[in-house]
Amino acid sequence: MAPTPAQPSAHGPQHTDTVIKVSAFVKRYKKNAAVDGVDLEVRRGEIYGLIGPDGAGKSSLMKAIAGVLTYDEGTVNVFGTLVDSERAAEHVKQRIGFLPQGLGLNLYPDLSVEENIDFFARLRLVPEPDLLERKTRLLAMTRLDKFRDRAMKHLSGGMKQKLGLICTLIHEPELAILDEPTTGVDPVSRRDFWAILAELLQEKGMTALVSTAYMDEAARFHRLSFVSNGKELASGTPAEVRALVPGWMVTFEAAPQLDAIARLKRTYRQVEALGPRLHVFTASTDAAQAVSQIETALGGMTSSDLRVDEPELEDVFVALLLRQVEHQEADGALSVSPMNRDHDGPAIEAKGLIRDFGSFRAVDHVTFRVQPGEIFGLLGANGAGKTTVIKMLTGIMPPTGGEGRVAGADMKTAGNAIKERIGYMSQAFSLYLDLTVVENIWLFAGIYGLDSRATEERLQWIVAMAGLHGYESHLTGRLPMGVRQRLALGCALVHRPRVLFLDEPTSGVDPIGRRRFWDILSRLAREEEVSILVTTHYMTEAEHCDHLALMYAGRIVAEGSPSDMKSQVEQEAGRLLEIETDIPGRALRRLKEAGFSEAALYGTKIHLLSRHHAEDEVRLRTVLSSDGMSVKAVGGRPLSLEDVFVHRVMTLEQQEAATKRGVGS
Amino acid sequence: MSFKRVATVASKEWREMVRDRMFVLLAFLLPVLWMLVFGYGLVLDVEEIPLVVVDRDHSSLSRDYLYRFTTSRYFDFKGSLVGEAEADGWLESGKARAVIVVPEKFEERLVAGQPVAVQTLIDGTFPLRTDITKGYVIAINGAFSADLLSDHVARMQGVSRARAEIFAHPIKLEVRYLYNEEVRSSWSTIPALVMFSLMLAPPLLTALGIVREKESGSIYNIYSSTVGKIEYLAGKLVPYVAVSFVNAVVLWLLATLWFGVPFKGNVGLFLVSALLFVLTSTGIGLLVSIMVSTQIAALIVTMVISILPTILFSGLIVPVSSLSPGAWIQAHFFPGMYFTNIVRGTFLKGVGVDVLWPDVLALALYAVVLRLVGYRLFTKRPRS
Repeated sequence: MAPTPAQPSAHGPQHTDTVIKVSAFVKRYKKNAAVDGVDLEVRRGEIYGLIGPDGAGKSSLMKAIAGVLTYDEGTVNVFGTLVDSERAAEHVKQRIGFLPQGLGLNLYPDLSVEENIDFFARLRLVPEPDLLERKTRLLAMTRLDKFRDRAMKHLSGGMKQKLGLICTLIHEPELAILDEPTTGVDPVSRRDFWAILAELLQEKGMTALVSTAYMDEAARFHRLSFVSNGKELASGTPAEVRALVPGWMVTFEAAPQLDAIARLKRTYRQVEALGPRLHVFTASTDAAQAVSQIETALGGMTSSDLRVDEPELEDVFVALLLRQVEHQEADGALSVSPMNRDHDGPAIEAKGLIRDFGSFRAVDHVTFRVQPGEIFGLLGANGAGKTTVIKMLTGIMPPTGGEGRVAGADMKTAGNAIKERIGYMSQAFSLYLDLTVVENIWLFAGIYGLDSRATEERLQWIVAMAGLHGYESHLTGRLPMGVRQRLALGCALVHRPRVLFLDEPTSGVDPIGRRRFWDILSRLAREEEVSILVTTHYMTEAEHCDHLALMYAGRIVAEGSPSDMKSQVEQEAGRLLEIETDIPGRALRRLKEAGFSEAALYGTKIHLLSRHHAEDEVRLRTVLSSDGMSVKAVGGRPLSLEDVFVHRVMTLEQQEAATKRGVGS
Repeated sequence: MSFKRVATVASKEWREMVRDRMFVLLAFLLPVLWMLVFGYGLVLDVEEIPLVVVDRDHSSLSRDYLYRFTTSRYFDFKGSLVGEAEADGWLESGKARAVIVVPEKFEERLVAGQPVAVQTLIDGTFPLRTDITKGYVIAINGAFSADLLSDHVARMQGVSRARAEIFAHPIKLEVRYLYNEEVRSSWSTIPALVMFSLMLAPPLLTALGIVREKESGSIYNIYSSTVGKIEYLAGKLVPYVAVSFVNAVVLWLLATLWFGVPFKGNVGLFLVSALLFVLTSTGIGLLVSIMVSTQIAALIVTMVISILPTILFSGLIVPVSSLSPGAWIQAHFFPGMYFTNIVRGTFLKGVGVDVLWPDVLALALYAVVLRLVGYRLFTKRPRS
C-alpha cells in the first residue's frame, strides 16, 4: 500500500518525524469537559503511552486522533493533516489502525478467528496474497494458528486481545492507536501482548499510541503522558517524568505498624503499608538525609530491614496527583468496635476443595487457611478458578468434594449462617446507583435485618471509615469511582462480618483512590481483626497482602508472603537484569538467538532473568558488542510480583506443553 | 465505491445473522407467527352474539317471532328468562349481549291491528359491535313485520301468498358482493397482515443489527476504517432486505395456500412492490438505528413508530377512507397505507399497475428518501 503523501501543514514548524501533534485539545460532553487543554506530540517509531485512571479522558483523545470523534477546541494533526472534519479524517484513516476500548468488544463473536481477520483486511482492501502471508505470520506469532476456526466468543481474554491486535494491524498501518489493550487481561497475557506489539512495531517501523490504566506498564513506553481529570500532569520519557518528582522510596518494617503509620502521616503524604512493611515516599534528594528524616518522624520507634530505592513511576504519579488535589480529606479515626468472636482458629479454612463442571475440573484440591486479621490474596489468570473458590466459600455454590469452614461455620451445612458472618463485595460494586449514599447503607442494613439503633450506629461508622463526609445525600451514580468503591466496602461491612470477600475490588479506580482503599483494608485487618480474602489482577496491589496463593488451572501452585514468593523465584530462576543498549530491538533479537529466551523489551530497556549474574553479564556484553551494539548499562532490579506471576505460569505452561508433546509422540 | 467492500460487509453481516440462533428465529419465525396469530385472532365478523329472550305473551305468534332470532346464525341463543329483572344479571356478567323482551298481549294486539313495541336491550360497550347487533335485530324484525304484512294483504285481497308478497315488497334488493364474494373478513385482513408483518419485522431486525454494533463498540471498526458510508450502509442493509424479501414470499404463500385467500392479480407486481416496501421499512430501521444507541431503545422506538400507526392508519382494521379527516391526512404519511392498497388490490381485486401506480410510486419515493436521510445523518465522526 502506497502511503498517501502527507499534506503540507500550515501549523508552524514541526519535528520532521512528528506523526501526531495535538495542541490545546478540548472535548466536552454536554457541558462537562472530558479533556481540557491537552498537548501531545508523538514521533515516528515511538511507543507513546497515555496513562491515567478511568475517566481521565484518554479514550476521547484517542478517538479524536483516530478521526472517529469530533472535538471542541484546539487542533489535532495526524501525518500533517489537520483532522477537523469527516473528510479530513477519511484522508488519514488508511494509515491508522484503531483498537477501541473493551476486551474483544470490537470483534464479531459469531465469526471465527480467521473470518474476523479476513473481514478487517477486506474492509481495508488488503490484496489477497498479502492478507494470506500476513495472516499466517501473525497467527503463528500470537500462537493463535491452532484456533483459526474457533468462534471468537469461545476465546480466552488473552486470545481475544491478541486477535484484536492482529485485526487492527492487518492493513499494516503506520500508526496504531490502541485504547487500553491490556485492561482485564492477566499478567502473562499482558506481557505476551507487549512482546508481540514491540516486535511488530520494530519490524514495520510503526508508531503506536497506547493507553493504559495500569501504572506499572508506564516503563513500557518510550515516552508518555500522564493524564487525570482531562488534564495532562506530566509528559516525557519515563526518566524525565521521574525527574519531575525527585525523592526516594524508603521501605522498612516498624512495629506496631499502626502507630508508625500514624506518626509518619504527620510528615509524609505517601505512606503505604505493604504487608508487614512500610513504604514511604520522601521528597528529599539525598538518600541518607531521607532515612534520617524518617527516623526522626518515627520518634524513637525502631525500624528494621530498611531499604532505599528509586521511586517507581506509580509513586511519581501519586505524588503528582496529590499536588493537584489541594486538600486531602482527613481520614476519620476508626472507633474500634470489636467484632463478636465466637470461635478461635482460622477465619477461613479450605481443605481439598473440588468443583467439577461436567468433565471439567474448575477447582482441584484447593487447601489454604486465612488467619483472623490477615489479608489473603488469591491470584491467577482468568479461568484459573478464583471466583469458583469464592463462590463455594460463600455458600453460593456447593463443592463437588472437600470441605470449607468460614468464621467457624461449615459452608455445606451452615448456609445462611455463613452469609451473616461474611461480607462480599464484587467487581461491579452492586450498589443502587439511583439511591443516595445513605439510602444505600439503609438498604443494606435492612437486608441484614439491623434495627434502627444499630443502623444509625453503623451508618456513622461507615461514613467515618470510608471518608464519606459530605457525600451522604449524593446520588451514588454521580460519585467518583473511588468514593463509590469505598461505599460498596462500607455496605459489605454493615452487619459487622468477621470475614470479607473482595472479588477484583479496585478495577477502574485511580491510584490515589486505590491506595486509600488499601489503607482502609489494612486498618480493618489490623484494628478490627477482619479477615480479608481478595482476588486481583493488579500485581502491584498483591503487594499489600500478608499472604498470597497463586492459582493455575484450578490448583494452588505457589503460596507465601509476597517476599517469600519473590525469593522462591529468585532461587529458581535467578535475578532480574536490566540492560540498556543503543538499538534495543536488534539487541533483543540477538539475545534471544544467543539463548536468553525469556528476554523481553520494556520501553527502551531489556529485562531478563539470570541465575549467574556475573557470567551472564559478561556473555551478553560480548554477544551485543560483537554485533556492533554498545551496552550502556547492565544492572540488577528487584523482582516484582508480576515477574513472579509470569515466571510461575510460564513454567507451568511449558511443562504442560512438554507433557502433551510427550503424549503425542 | 468498492464492490468488494460492500460484499465484505454484507457477508460478515450474513454470517453473524445466520449463526445467531435467536436472530434467525426472530427473523424468520416472527413474521409467520404474527400472520398466524392475527390471521386467526383478528376476525372482525360479528356473529354468534349471545342472546336471551323474555316471552311474556306465551302465544304462538310470540314464539314464532322469537324463533326467528334464536335460530339465526348471527345470534347464539342462551335461554329464556322469566322476567326483565333477570336479564340485568346476564348482561352485566357478559353472558348475554342482547335481550329481546316480548310484551304481554303481543298476539292479541297484532291481530287487532294495534302497534306493538318490542323492547331490545343491547350491550353498548363496543359501539361497532353494538351497531352491527342492532342492524341484525332490525333486519330480523323487519322480515317478520313484512311477513305479517304479506299475510294480511293475502287475507284482505284474497290473493295468493306469492302475489301478496309482491304487493308488500315491490322492490327487491339484489346484492352481489364484489372482490370478496363471501364477505369473509379474513380475506380482507390477511393480505393486510402481509403488510403488517413486513412493516414490523424488517425495521426491527435492521435497527437491532446496526445498534448492536454501536453497543458493542464494533462500529468503531467502521468509523476508523476507510470504508465509505454508502459502502457500509449498502453492505449492512443487503442481508436484511434479502431476509425480509424472502419473508414477503413466505407470507404470500401462507396467505394463499394456508388461509386460502384468492390471489387475482399480477405476482410480478406484488413482488416488485413488496421489494419496494421492504426497502422502505428497512429504511425506517436504519433511521431509528442512527438516532438511538442501545438495542433496547431501538426495540421500543421501532415498535412505537411502526406498530401504532400501522394498526391505526394503514387500513388494516379501519379503511383509510372512513377515517376522520385528521387521521386521513396522517395515514398518508405512513407507508403502510400504500402497500395495503397494493396487497388488497392484487389479492382481491386483481388490478394492475394502471390502477396501483400511485401507490408503487409512493413506496419507491419512501425507499429513496429514507435512504438519503439515513446517508446524511450517518457520520463516521460522531459527537460522542
